[in-house]
Formats: sequence, structure tokens, C-alpha cells
Amino acid sequence: MSDLDRQIEQLKKCEPLKESEVKALCLKAMEILVEESNVQRVDAPVTICGDIHGQFYDMKELFKVGGDCPKTNYLFLGDFVDRGFYSVETFLLLLALKVRYPDRITLIRGNHESRQITQVYGFYDECLRKYGSVNVWRYCTDIFDYLSLSALIENKIFSVHGGLSPAISTLDQIRTIDRKQEVPHDGAMCDLLWSDPEDIVDGWGLSPRGAGFLFGGSVVSSFNHANNIDYICRAHQLVMEGYKWMFNNQIVTVWSAPNYCYRCGNVAAILELDENLNKQFRVFDAAPQESRGTPAKKPAPDYFL
Amino acid sequence: MEVEVDEKELKAAGAEPLTDGRHGLRIHGWEIESRKRSILKSSTLELWEKKLETYHMPEMVFGDSCLALKHVKSGFTIHFNAFDALVGWKKEALPPVEVPAAAQWKFRSKPSQQIILDYDYTFTTPYCGSETVKFDADKLEGGEISKDTCNLHWEDCNEKIDVVALASKEPILFYDEVVLYEDELADSGVSLLTVKVRVMPSCWFLLLRFWLRVDGALMRLRDTRMHCVFNDNASPAILREICWREATFQALSAKGYPSEDAAYNDPSIISQRLPVIMHKTQKLKVPDNV
Repeated sequence: MSDLDRQIEQLKKCEPLKESEVKALCLKAMEILVEESNVQRVDAPVTICGDIHGQFYDMKELFKVGGDCPKTNYLFLGDFVDRGFYSVETFLLLLALKVRYPDRITLIRGNHESRQITQVYGFYDECLRKYGSVNVWRYCTDIFDYLSLSALIENKIFSVHGGLSPAISTLDQIRTIDRKQEVPHDGAMCDLLWSDPEDIVDGWGLSPRGAGFLFGGSVVSSFNHANNIDYICRAHQLVMEGYKWMFNNQIVTVWSAPNYCYRCGNVAAILELDENLNKQFRVFDAAPQESRGTPAKKPAPDYFL
Repeated sequence: MEVEVDEKELKAAGAEPLTDGRHGLRIHGWEIESRKRSILKSSTLELWEKKLETYHMPEMVFGDSCLALKHVKSGFTIHFNAFDALVGWKKEALPPVEVPAAAQWKFRSKPSQQIILDYDYTFTTPYCGSETVKFDADKLEGGEISKDTCNLHWEDCNEKIDVVALASKEPILFYDEVVLYEDELADSGVSLLTVKVRVMPSCWFLLLRFWLRVDGALMRLRDTRMHCVFNDNASPAILREICWREATFQALSAKGYPSEDAAYNDPSIISQRLPVIMHKTQKLKVPDNV
């Protein structure tokens, strides 16, 4: 058994790798990812997955439902880390699979694959806690910069973490972005990872936060038409039912973190596309309590004041 | 949070757990119950949107979760739920808080036909609990009482919640924390409304907390504490303390406090750093004829 296969087996048991192994794995991954396009070509059949957020045991449920990699070809739409308890193991397993089976798994970048966001929402603290130093966080966030920004399945389905950008009307414009950097605070790359579809605007909307675009049905129609695609598949937003179509089936949100943050009670979904691009959503629940080494969900009563 | 409580302790305090899968207890004429459920499904959420006349709801609405404290003899209930809290949000309708990146965004070339949304995406609410009274139907029909005179109301007072007594380590017979709604502000911070309760042999105490952090911009804490010392009188004595705190990140860093968002994950640790902007203590008035 090669070192890599052994590491995959170890990660599947939710046991993190040694720091030196993480460093070596990231170097190998970098060589693969650097060759990928900003609009990475993906062949069908493929199974599309949304946000995971460090919910390792729930991702194992996902693989139970969708089949193991490499038997199943996977596309993950980002947000592997933060919020859940096992961002380290989750991301490293996906990355190890990527290095082992580069043509059978595609990982694209979510807005949480960023130095700034991971310092606030959990991954940084988890690395520090599990390794006693921030080196692993550094290796991983350096790799984040190499992750592709989007994928195109059989030239017909455009996949991205967040959504569209007013600065982008063609796929070629995405191809020209220099992606090897921290996610910027504005501009096309930022929008692809952060923006959301919104029912109540038709064209473009600006979030009440003063930053962040919202896009309506007509924006999606013109983008799909201009690029000759059937629909857009994105993640980024929690959907109680696991997936949600909008704007006359021109865009679909896929969410793959069941019982999000271990308390929402939502189901998750993945989207299976066969060789003819026929769709099947597979909906699944969170891993049962006894199969997960979850830290006690119920803290002791406290004498709060 | 289910807590294994010693049966003996419950008995000694004259309390008994609720049955039929309900989570809570009966003690000194009170029935205290918490209910924790999943977030609302899309269809229910749409229904709420219609009722609230809004297009915007927190990402996670625990609409079927609640905490209820019922005083059995007088028939009134103090309870906490997401719907009433969102009614308060809709009514207060604060202007939106800009995130730091907004300054840069002002210089971005704007797409044609851009709409700027301006609702309060922080879901800040003045909510401090709900009260309902179950009327005695006979008395109501007989004209002995009218609905107007039956309403509970809170009256400002000078008394304070006895923090010293609450700090004593009496056994906790029942404890729970219920999330009512939560929003991640699209990864720009947190908006969280929770209520937690603890019941001891001599009293119950609860904290309803609205906690908001808009990363790099603002923190807001709106706490409502209620304390009821058990007595066997017909009308219980309940004190309520409302305390609102608020500070911008700018003001905090000017005072020498850290300005990274990650330093402000736990409101209970940093609350003292936020200046108080409103504080009042009130007493519950229960009409005699309830």
C-alpha cells in the first residue's frame, strides 16, 4: 500500500495526518491544481456536492449515498472548512483523494477557502488546537489559492460556489482571472464565490450590507443564453430541503451539510448526473449520533447570570 | 440540553418532571417546558414571510422551538418564540449596518438597473418575551372580568435581580438553551437570538439574548433577564431586567481593546466591554382577577 493510500485510509477514520505529511500532500496537490483552468472541464457522469463545512461524519454519509471515489466521479463546490468540528480531516481527505485520483474528483473554491474567513469561523482555531501551531493552516490556505473557481460539465452545466458577477458575461472572462491569490474583497473573483440569487430583484441587487451582489432571473437567463448552458449549479446557501431550483429551473442551489452546525435539523442533497446529464437528487440525513465522535452536544448546565 | 437530574433532588424540591416526552418540570405551581425542533421548512418560511409582510427571514428560524413558563393557578404563561421576536424586528426596522468592505464597493462600477436592498438584515429585535393569559371562560362570559383588565403588564421598578442569591450554587433541577433564530449574515458575522433557563429549588432564572456581531463594524447585545423566587401566593413575583449594549469596532479599538472579529465570538466574555445604552428593571403586575 502506498503512503498516499495509507493516508487516505487513516483520514477516512477521521484521524488527521502528521504535519510533515500535510506539507508533502499540499505540495503534490499544488502541482495538480496549478494546471487546472478557472473553468475546469468536467465529464459526466458526475455527482455534484455543495457545502460540507467540516462535518466529517456527514460527508461519510454523503459517500455512502453517492458511492466511493474513484468509483463515483465527484465535483465539490467549495466550503469544505469552518463551522463544523472536523475541517482538518474533511479538507485533507478531499485533498488526498484529489492527489490520488485527479480525474475523478474536482474541488473548486468556496468563500470559506480564504485566510481571512477561516480565522474567524473555525478552521484556524481547529488547526492550532489539533497541531499546536498554525503551520497546517498555512499549508492549507496556500493550497486554497490554487483551487479552481468554477467547473463546466459537458459544456452544459456551469458550476460555481456563489454565483454570477456583473463583471462577467462570458466564461472566457472567468478564464482570464489570475486566481492564485487570497479571495479579494471585490471584483469578479469575489463575486463568483460570494454572490446569491434573489427572487425580489430581476437584474442586479446590492446587499443591505453595502457589499455583495444579488442577481435576479433575467441576469441568469442572459448568462445561460450567452454561454449556451442549460443551467447553473451553485451552493453557498443553506436550503432546508437540500436543494432548491430558482428562476424556472435556470439555477439550482445544492446544500450538502445535513443538520447544519449540528442543530438545524435540515436534510442535505447531492446532484447525480448520468452520462446523458439526466438529473437525480439524492437527499440524505446527518450521520446517526452513535457513529460520530461528536464532542458532547449537550454541555453541562451552567450558572449563567 | 437534557440533564440527568437526581430524582431525589427533584423530589426534595417538590418538583416532578413533565411526562409524555415533554421536556421540563413542574415546581411550586409552575410548569416549565422547553421545546427544540428543526429549522422551518421553505413552505412554512414562505407562510411566515406573508404574515410578517417581508421578503427576508433569518437563514435559520427555529419556528417550532420555544420556552414556556406557565403559572398554573393564575393561568398565565410567559413564553419565548421566534415569530413574536420577528414581529418586533419588523416593527423596529433599523437602518442597515454597512460592513467595512462597503467603503470599497462604493467605487465599483455599478451594473445597470441595480437595486439596493435596505432592510435590517441583522434581524435586531427589541423582543423581551411574550405573555398570554388563559381566561376563565365562565368569568368572562358572566361579565365578572373583561379582557382589558386581564392583561399582564410590566411596571418599572427600583428593585434589582438578586445576583448574589443567583450566584449561590443551589442544585440546578432543570436547564436548557433554546435557539430561536440565527443568521450568519452571509459570513459577515452573526445574529443570534437564544433563551436559556435554569430552575433551582428556590427560583427560576432565564436569559433571553440577542447577539449581533457585524464583522469589523458593530456589536450589539440585548439581554432580558427574568427572575422568579418561588412563593406560594396566588400571584408570583417576577422581576425583569432589560439591558442593551452596543459598540462599534472602531470605538473598541480606540479604547485599546482588540479589533479582530475572532476576539468576539462569545458575548458572555466580552459583554462588559460594550457600553450600556439602555437599562431598566420591571416587575410583572398580575391582575387579581386572572
